[in-house]
Amino acid sequence: MQERRKETGGISLDDALGASEKWDFEPKKKKPELYLTIPPKELVFWALFSAGGMVTAFLIPIHVAILGIAFAAGWLPDDALSYERVLDFARHPLAKIYLGILVVMPLYHWAHRFRYAVHHQLGVHGWKRLVATFCYGTATLGTALTVWILLRI
Amino acid sequence: MELTLRIRRYNPEVREDPWWDEFTVDVEPWDHVLEALHEVKWRQDGTLALRRSCAHGICGSDAMVINGRNDLACRVLVKDVAPKVTVEPIRGLRVLKDLIVDMDAFFDGYKRMLPYLINDEEPPVRERLQSQEERERFDDTTKCILCAACTTSCPIFWGDEGYVGPAAIVNAHRFIFDSRDRGARQRLQILGEKTGVFRCRTTFNCTEACPRGIKVTQAIQEVKRAIMFDRLG
Amino acid sequence: MWWLRTKAYRRFAAREATSLFAAAFSLVLLLFLFGLSRGRQAYEGFLRWLERPGTVVLSAVILAAILYHAGTWFRLTSHILVVRLGRLVVPRKVVISGLVALWLLVSGLVLQLYARF
Repeated sequence: MQERRKETGGISLDDALGASEKWDFEPKKKKPELYLTIPPKELVFWALFSAGGMVTAFLIPIHVAILGIAFAAGWLPDDALSYERVLDFARHPLAKIYLGILVVMPLYHWAHRFRYAVHHQLGVHGWKRLVATFCYGTATLGTALTVWILLRI
Repeated sequence: MELTLRIRRYNPEVREDPWWDEFTVDVEPWDHVLEALHEVKWRQDGTLALRRSCAHGICGSDAMVINGRNDLACRVLVKDVAPKVTVEPIRGLRVLKDLIVDMDAFFDGYKRMLPYLINDEEPPVRERLQSQEERERFDDTTKCILCAACTTSCPIFWGDEGYVGPAAIVNAHRFIFDSRDRGARQRLQILGEKTGVFRCRTTFNCTEACPRGIKVTQAIQEVKRAIMFDRLG
Repeated sequence: MWWLRTKAYRRFAAREATSLFAAAFSLVLLLFLFGLSRGRQAYEGFLRWLERPGTVVLSAVILAAILYHAGTWFRLTSHILVVRLGRLVVPRKVVISGLVALWLLVSGLVLQLYARF
């Protein structure tokens, strides 16, 4: 090896191999280990989207079918949606939590999907902050409204 | 049999805009589109530029858009596309000439995943032992040949600068779920960023395009879940 | 518009669009709860709105969209939720059947809530 190095005029095989592939991508060490206990924003948005998708898939269809169609068609018992009965139900704290989830989760599901649809399908390439703020902001506003209304019942 | 190829040409030294060329070649039905391209290049138009190496579906050099779908030219049979086939360079990457694209953006995403074994522990006397179940865990993603068919079929990659792309995530998955590796945390940290895994909208184009049959979308979702439970657990 | 190009892309766009209908129904529910909080008159006004034929049509459209969402969501989950038992993997059709069964159960429970509290 030593003799060959002298023959080729100074550069060793290791140096030549090292120079051909520059691995200059290091993991960014800006954030401290604490980062691992604070989830990245994207994870939160995605988790909300995922949970929202579950709620929308499992719970929403039956509610739409009952409130939107069955009630108008007269398929429900007469007093099913009477003011007293529904108020009685909605005043229960567990019912409030259920109703809150029912209203709020699909909003976050919509927010995430709509945000990316604007960028990837409507072709809006910039305004990332604005679009994200509008989408998640609307969902948060909806959440605040829901909490306020539920507390008033 | 006769095959007409409609090829998307581009040569900035000759013409500013890309153009289409049509060639008719005589090939066997069991030849691949790559052989037909060779007929064009070697016998009709020597200026046609394309990348190819093994011609057997394993090196991943000749990924192209054939009849609107991403595939390796050496895997698509002439009899499946005859009598007319459209050949274009893969999308989302800058075209250098004809069917050759600039793969730098693709490989940058790949390199950011630290695609090498990270294990600073004292190495064992012989091998790092691994059970069959542990090996099975990441078996699917070891198949990646870095052909870029998946990444260049992803609409998110087309429209979003910075998204690392499915191939990078697949190669990260291969190491994250390898029991011999200790760099999972570093890679998950990188993938949890805006340009990482959460860009995926489960469009499934990548899984369809992969010539190796890797369940790309599944691998991406597994990484998403790993980030979630790594944070919570 | 890349998403208009093939059938698969258009179906993807439709799937994403269902989220709009989900948000729309959240709004309907919010109005329902708002009416409830405002008192008997407001609430019964909302019930009368529910009975209008236009609302029923809107609800049918929303229902179709959400069912499409549920179908694609379950299919997606079967692709990405890998249930491993040692070296065996639960097949996708079983996962989908499981999710549909769960969906039926949940829907039944909610129906019980409305029809017989």
